[in-house]
Amino acid sequence: MMIIENIGKQAIYLISSIGKIILFIFLFFKFLFQPKFYFRSNLKYFINIFFSSIPVIALTGIFSGMVLALQSYTGFSRFSAESAIPNIVVLTLTRELGPVLTGLMISARVGSSIAAEIATMRVTEQIDALKTLNTNFFNYLVTPRVLSLTIAMPLFVTLVDFIGVMGGYLVSVHRLGFNENMYLINTIDFLSFADYLSGVIKATVFGFIISVISCYCGLYSGKGAFGVGSATTNSVVLSSILILVSNYILTEIFF
Amino acid sequence: MKIEIQNVSKSFDKNKVLQGVNLTIEKNKSTIILGKSGCGKSVLLKLIYQLLQIDDGHILYNNKKNVDIDRFGMLFQYGALFDSLTVEENIAFVDYINNKLNFRNKVANSLKEVGLSPDIYKKYPAEISGGMKKRVALARAMYKKPDVIFLDEPTTGLDPVNSDMINELILRIIQKKKMTAITITHDIQSALKTGHNYHFLNEGIVEDSGTCKKLLQSKNKFLNEFLLGVKNLQRIK
Repeated sequence: MMIIENIGKQAIYLISSIGKIILFIFLFFKFLFQPKFYFRSNLKYFINIFFSSIPVIALTGIFSGMVLALQSYTGFSRFSAESAIPNIVVLTLTRELGPVLTGLMISARVGSSIAAEIATMRVTEQIDALKTLNTNFFNYLVTPRVLSLTIAMPLFVTLVDFIGVMGGYLVSVHRLGFNENMYLINTIDFLSFADYLSGVIKATVFGFIISVISCYCGLYSGKGAFGVGSATTNSVVLSSILILVSNYILTEIFF
Repeated sequence: MKIEIQNVSKSFDKNKVLQGVNLTIEKNKSTIILGKSGCGKSVLLKLIYQLLQIDDGHILYNNKKNVDIDRFGMLFQYGALFDSLTVEENIAFVDYINNKLNFRNKVANSLKEVGLSPDIYKKYPAEISGGMKKRVALARAMYKKPDVIFLDEPTTGLDPVNSDMINELILRIIQKKKMTAITITHDIQSALKTGHNYHFLNEGIVEDSGTCKKLLQSKNKFLNEFLLGVKNLQRIK
């Protein structure tokens, strides 16, 4: 009986959480078009997450491109298809690895900090303080974070794509002996705008998912240090799972 | 502002926190709500401030049901200063958030009022002491010149010297600005120093109300236990 009771409790918790997240998204769009829009906090937040994330993003891009070139060479050289490496690197990065790896890195780098910050604000009554100062906490805390990350993610992915291709170029030219001009020509010729666009759309969706989930986990966190810790962990785990699930759905759509 | 709390009840799930609370906050007086931890004091304060919804009953503000919460200011138990903003931005938050400029002089005056040097206006809350945080939080609560100030355990976590300083500051500000003050506390010493009227809350019910003298002469068992401590009460008996 205990097992059934626990399964039932978990099912109710899951369904109520899904409902709360949907309501949360609805609230975001509702407040997005309300007159009080805190421009300063939006801009400040965008600048903050954009510049602080660039080193992580750059490292993700360069090493992904370098590894991709090496691994592709290992496989393709077995049936003399080495010339396809520039195409594979650019296609894999723009369509798949760029958005997914960036999404996972940003969920760990930015999503966790959003959840921890908002949860701490909740625990230390800072959210109540916002209400006492007649400030719409949703517009002040959630809107800037969701907007900033949704706008920043396509920029991050563009950067990862570019740096990743350069990483692949470095390894291919200096380690595998490719002709540098041929590598770049193959890369540019093979890449279509639709490939890049599909990655950018994925990135936008991932940015929205990460920011909404992180803000939600922070605002609905438990009490004390444990609550803050759980909010941070939950935001990263849930965002990562949703990124992987939505990636498959979006890939099916763009297939 | 006169505030009348009429038959107010509040529950969280099955936990009844307040049960038919009736009390009046008189205009330009300092009202103290006393009670043990967990008796519903903070919930009552948040209901009056309209941060929580009432389940049953009414709260009338100058005989009206609605009030502009810009007429209220609140000092939180642990200050609740915004970590990511400087002291200056915290105090002038209402101006800062609405992109108003040139609030430095106003902030300097607020800091002076609470006995702090304007040198700290660029510091972050993490860089100042507990007593200073409380005073900055008080300056923030006073910045929009409220009619009513809510004080949630104003001396919690402070040493006796800082507690006295905060109490004197609160008294001075209330008298100078002719404000209505509502304080919740379980610190008897502070309560006796800063109050005009007292209400004793026990398990969500107002057990006794009146002036300091009346409360000290009360025969209410719970109030006497609270005022003296159970062991002292047994010794006196």
